[in-house]
Amino acid sequence: MKRAVTAFFILFFSFHSSCTFAQQKITVAVAANMQYAFTELKNEFEKTTDIRVDAVIGGSGNLTRQIMQGAPFDVFISADTKYPDALYEAKQTAGNPKVYARGVLVLWTTKSNINLSPDLSFLSSNNIKSIAIANPRIAPYGSAAVALLKKHELYQTINNKLVLGENISQTSQFIASGNADVGFTAKAVVLSETMKNKGKWIELNTNDYPPILQSAVVLKYGAQHHPEASKSFFEFLFSTKALEIYKKYGYIN
Amino acid sequence: MIDFAPIILTLELAFLTTIILFVIGIPIARWLAQGQNIFKTITEVVCSLPLVLPPTVIGFYLLLAFSPSGSFGRFLENFFNIRLAFSFGGLLIGSVIYSLPFMVHPILSGFNSLPSSLEEASASLGKTKFQTLIHVLLPNIKPSLLTGIVLTFAHTIGEFGVVLMIGGNIPEKTNVASIAVYDEVEALNYHNANIYAAILVGISATILFLLYFSNRKLREVKIL
Amino acid sequence: MRFSLQKKLHASDGPFDLDVNCEIEEGSFISLYGPSGAGKTSLLRMLAGFLKPDVGKIEMNGEVWLDTKNKINTSPQKRAAGFVFQDYALFPNMNVEENILFAMDKNASKKLVDELLELTALTGLRHKKIQMLSGGQQQRVALARALARKPKLLLLDEPLSAIDNEMRANLQQSLLSIHSHYNITAIIVSHDITEITRLTSKTICLKNGKIEKFANPSELFIEGEANKMRAVFLSYENKGNDSCASVLAGGRVVKISCSEEDVKDLQKGDEIEISFRDAPAFLRKL
Repeated sequence: MKRAVTAFFILFFSFHSSCTFAQQKITVAVAANMQYAFTELKNEFEKTTDIRVDAVIGGSGNLTRQIMQGAPFDVFISADTKYPDALYEAKQTAGNPKVYARGVLVLWTTKSNINLSPDLSFLSSNNIKSIAIANPRIAPYGSAAVALLKKHELYQTINNKLVLGENISQTSQFIASGNADVGFTAKAVVLSETMKNKGKWIELNTNDYPPILQSAVVLKYGAQHHPEASKSFFEFLFSTKALEIYKKYGYIN
Repeated sequence: MIDFAPIILTLELAFLTTIILFVIGIPIARWLAQGQNIFKTITEVVCSLPLVLPPTVIGFYLLLAFSPSGSFGRFLENFFNIRLAFSFGGLLIGSVIYSLPFMVHPILSGFNSLPSSLEEASASLGKTKFQTLIHVLLPNIKPSLLTGIVLTFAHTIGEFGVVLMIGGNIPEKTNVASIAVYDEVEALNYHNANIYAAILVGISATILFLLYFSNRKLREVKIL
Repeated sequence: MRFSLQKKLHASDGPFDLDVNCEIEEGSFISLYGPSGAGKTSLLRMLAGFLKPDVGKIEMNGEVWLDTKNKINTSPQKRAAGFVFQDYALFPNMNVEENILFAMDKNASKKLVDELLELTALTGLRHKKIQMLSGGQQQRVALARALARKPKLLLLDEPLSAIDNEMRANLQQSLLSIHSHYNITAIIVSHDITEITRLTSKTICLKNGKIEKFANPSELFIEGEANKMRAVFLSYENKGNDSCASVLAGGRVVKISCSEEDVKDLQKGDEIEISFRDAPAFLRKL
């Protein structure tokens, strides 16, 4: 009888402890163009802690809407600052959003007969018929591209060549498929596994456009359900190791 | 202040798509209604594919087809100096493909519902196939024609995925109402999104109401 | 007119070969009789040009309509054969007059419409919608329409099968007068022996795709001895010394006096033969 009770307690506690272990799991909402960098972030983080990280990948706008509807996400890594700010306004976050990296704008083409030069005056030539940018009303890479074109005093002349993608991946699709002759996209895209060797690109001077800030935030759900784990992952996003990863994937600090 | 250009553009696209599909839908349906062979089966499959495929698939293939890097796109660019992506013409082609089943299917079932003796009677009276089509067959499938026209129009108004893929959001060329709704929602501007959405709901509901109302009228006349 | 036609046909009980060879006198009224599935309608459709035979030749008034050997196949449009369909096949989008006008050449005299409407007793209905007409009226429109092109050959596919008896007799009269008026060669598919004998001078009896007999209908439908007739037994009544049987003969129920001995083995529905041996028959015009 005594042994049976002992066995029961051993079983109970081992089961209980495995339960606590399973609870060390957080769900992170990740903006689609951060997904490659995120895989490495996750691997590094899981190496040093016993917290498991699951990702839900989607457009920043869609993820924001889901969070507003009460989706069980602990941390939100956005591709801009607008959506985390909107969530903060709506009191869906625990604390302020914080910028973890800045995006870099590149000019990209898959046409062999187009030569990219940093002064951009070639954009007004006749052999360039369409220039893809992300919708400047929605996407920060789009508004950055518009600011850059204005700075180069090209916006008025090439305005009618602009074609707008709904987001940075669609804009990249326009360029990659060759439907747009050139286009402005994120450095993270041209460095990604799938696009790495397609066409050619030049990095644009970061002083010519307002910084493309990307912020992350701990969500109200995370603070209520997994406060420790959420906090430790959020802090990891600003560690030296994380900053190295951002750099590798085409972001700057 | 809300911009009405996307609504007007949407109506323009729907109108032209309907006219084009009416003109090409009738001969396709007529041909399909006459007997069976492997080419007709293939055509029927192709005509029905847009029903089951996500519009983004059609949009994606069109994006590839229109690309000047591909052979079709290069041909158009070199010989006609046309680039279809990001143009109203491209959208029109996309809409015609996307809405094809909505025109062909009602007309086809209309033709199939007519007794074959009508056509034979007309032939024995010395009338050509074209005369038979115009004077005998089409006047007797008016409800089907109306259904085809209205469904095509309404379906084109609702088009989103194809435009998203090949449109490029150019004001007064490819920025249609469904995209405008999406953009307003993305920009967290729910007020404008609501206005666009309400206008679309209003237009679509009115069109469908007119269809069911007039089809009922036509049917009543037939029963008498 | 002469035709010889061969085609493999598919009936409900399997395929069979239609193989007919026939010569018809111009201006005659011919009936096509036989069990269903014998190929009557197919034969008619081949003559009209709706159905192409595997091998065959059709000659009409010296004009070759079809000759598969020489790859001649005149389209239905050019054959000038009027066809009256079993379901009438009137155009519902046109009224009575428009149906007939549609069939006429553009430069044909409008008098013909009046004449045809007159002949088919439709003058009062000329502006009526097709849907408003009775079956008999629709059939007359179909007939007028088929004649509007002044065809050399009139083909009628069981035109009167869906019409009640009284109207049928009426229409048969119109058919006869039209036939003699236009002196047209006509072929009618019919199951009704009364109709066949009344209208036509010769009957093609078709069975399993072959012409079994081609003869004068009154000769054709005499079975066995001249003073015998087939009927169906219905019932037997015995009222004292007057005993008689009710039988179905020629589409009518008649009473025939007989003895109990004659009917003792009969059941309702049995086929019987009546012979007019003993009592003389009286004939009188009605």
